[in-house]
Amino acid sequence: MAMDWEPLTLWVALVVYVLAGSLAIFGGVLRTRPEKAVLALLVLGLLLHTASIALRWERLGHGPYITMFEILLSNIWSLLAIYLLAYWRIPAIRPTAAVVMPILFVMMGWLLVTSPHEGHLPATYHTVWLFVHIGFGKVFLGCALVAVGISGVILLRGRRHAGNRFASLPDDSRLDELSFRFMAIALIFETLMLIAGAIWAQDAWGRYWAWDPLETWSFLTWLSLAFALHARVAYKVSPRTGAVMVMAVFVLAFLTFFGVPFVSTAPHKGAV
Amino acid sequence: MKTGRRYAGQEQADALPGTPPQSRVWRVLGALASLKLSLVILAALGAGILTAYLSAAPATWALAAPLAAFALNLLAAVATNPVFRRKTPLLIFHLALIAVILLLAAGRLTYLKGQLELAEGEVFDGQLTQEESGPWHPRRLDVLRFSNEGFTISYAKGVRRGATRNRVAWAAPDGSVQHAVIGDQDPLVLSGYRFYTTHNKGFAPTFTWYASSGAAPVTGTVHLPAYPLHEHKQALEWTPPGGKTPLWVMLQFDEVILDPAKPSEFRLPSGHLIVVRAGEARYELKPGERVSLAEGVLEYNGLRVWMGYTVFYDFTLPWLLAACLLAVMSLAWHFRGKFFARPWDKPSTGTS
Repeated sequence: MAMDWEPLTLWVALVVYVLAGSLAIFGGVLRTRPEKAVLALLVLGLLLHTASIALRWERLGHGPYITMFEILLSNIWSLLAIYLLAYWRIPAIRPTAAVVMPILFVMMGWLLVTSPHEGHLPATYHTVWLFVHIGFGKVFLGCALVAVGISGVILLRGRRHAGNRFASLPDDSRLDELSFRFMAIALIFETLMLIAGAIWAQDAWGRYWAWDPLETWSFLTWLSLAFALHARVAYKVSPRTGAVMVMAVFVLAFLTFFGVPFVSTAPHKGAV
Repeated sequence: MKTGRRYAGQEQADALPGTPPQSRVWRVLGALASLKLSLVILAALGAGILTAYLSAAPATWALAAPLAAFALNLLAAVATNPVFRRKTPLLIFHLALIAVILLLAAGRLTYLKGQLELAEGEVFDGQLTQEESGPWHPRRLDVLRFSNEGFTISYAKGVRRGATRNRVAWAAPDGSVQHAVIGDQDPLVLSGYRFYTTHNKGFAPTFTWYASSGAAPVTGTVHLPAYPLHEHKQALEWTPPGGKTPLWVMLQFDEVILDPAKPSEFRLPSGHLIVVRAGEARYELKPGERVSLAEGVLEYNGLRVWMGYTVFYDFTLPWLLAACLLAVMSLAWHFRGKFFARPWDKPSTGTS
């Protein structure tokens, strides 16, 4: 019997991610810095994950953007890819993996209990705007995730049980600055996602905006992000307050991406 | 002088050259330009969106009011705050945002959304079955003409709709007949009106009605309920032109058009009957057959298909896209300049 490489590579990728995340968390707890091992494991996991997605794409003839399984599969990939890039390029924030990886563990657990059945590719998905819209959305959420990792460290530092476990990172004001830079990039890409989505919606449904549930919650996410960035300028908020705002924006974005498809009966199901 | 809208590094003594520092207009503009007011407006816009989203009744005001306030806030900021003279990308971003709001307002005042149905071979005559439009919509729809030349729709296993390919024809301004295939992502665009095919389509029996009053015979189609959405309700009550007694018309066929077990294509049934009921009387008609009724003679000519279209008009679309792109590009330009000016891990010098 021929081996089914698609689920196998995915399972191994998930195991490797869990190893990387666990190593990062225990490294934080034990005050060691196994960063090179975490980096190597994340790269290995991402390569295996890429192979699994490529095999599924080849088998079905379309990318991973139809079913909830595919949405989770591709978003775990893109979130990890963007976080990995930040992890590699900004060594000072590597301990944030202890905050970021548990979020991804939740998504991986969700992926494992979701049916990997095949979905039907609607006729309106045969357009380049699908990739543009989804691509911008993934960069947006990835940048927001990096900001969440940094903000998580700012918030954890204030907790008694955290002790000085994140002492090796730059001070809160600099972390806050970096976190908001990622949120600024997230705002750019969310805006581009909304523009590309509007172009696609005009072609697909004959209207560029109709306040369907996903459009409504996407715009509310955009507003909350703009509000957070603006409030930081207007009120010179403290790093802790800034971190709370980043978390709030991410929660709203997460619910928009992964929650609205459950409650929406509109054709726009948010398969990003 | 206090403008209320402060940016990092902004001098307290900022003022437009030649403007009296204590001018009332200046103070009002300064208050309108407040960054903190911007936050209140963003929050009000969010609340307005939620109100409109959760409200069963139209709540345009819930969006229009905060957007108007936002436009005033941005205009006042651009007029009074010297930071915009120093930071061109930020100025362009704010101007582009103002343009977006104005274009949205212009779009809502002049838009048109509507629906129409055309049987194969029929010509659009400017009439819509449903429509809504802004108060200043320049109605040019009445002079537009195009014909439905037939369509194909493929279905995957499980009756899952695939590509729609609708052939249409229209007369160009020079009088030449133009042809195109529209469907899914590809609308027909005539004088700014965008015609889109929809999932709504079905069968259309064609009749000729010879009224006993002596009026000229009228040939037309009856659009039965959408197929396969109303697969088991292929009947309609309809009153012939000039008549008073409604007729009940039903399409009857036994074959499976869209087989859930395999890929298929939307098509006419190979054999069918039209059942006509007039009061208690019941008639079965095949193409070419006719029946005498109290108010005239009904001749059944044959079966065709009909397609439902949506039409959308908004002249602001390209301008809105340009303004949005300008806004996002200038914002990216602004952030780039700001971030490149100082590495994130270097202490702030107090300027943005």
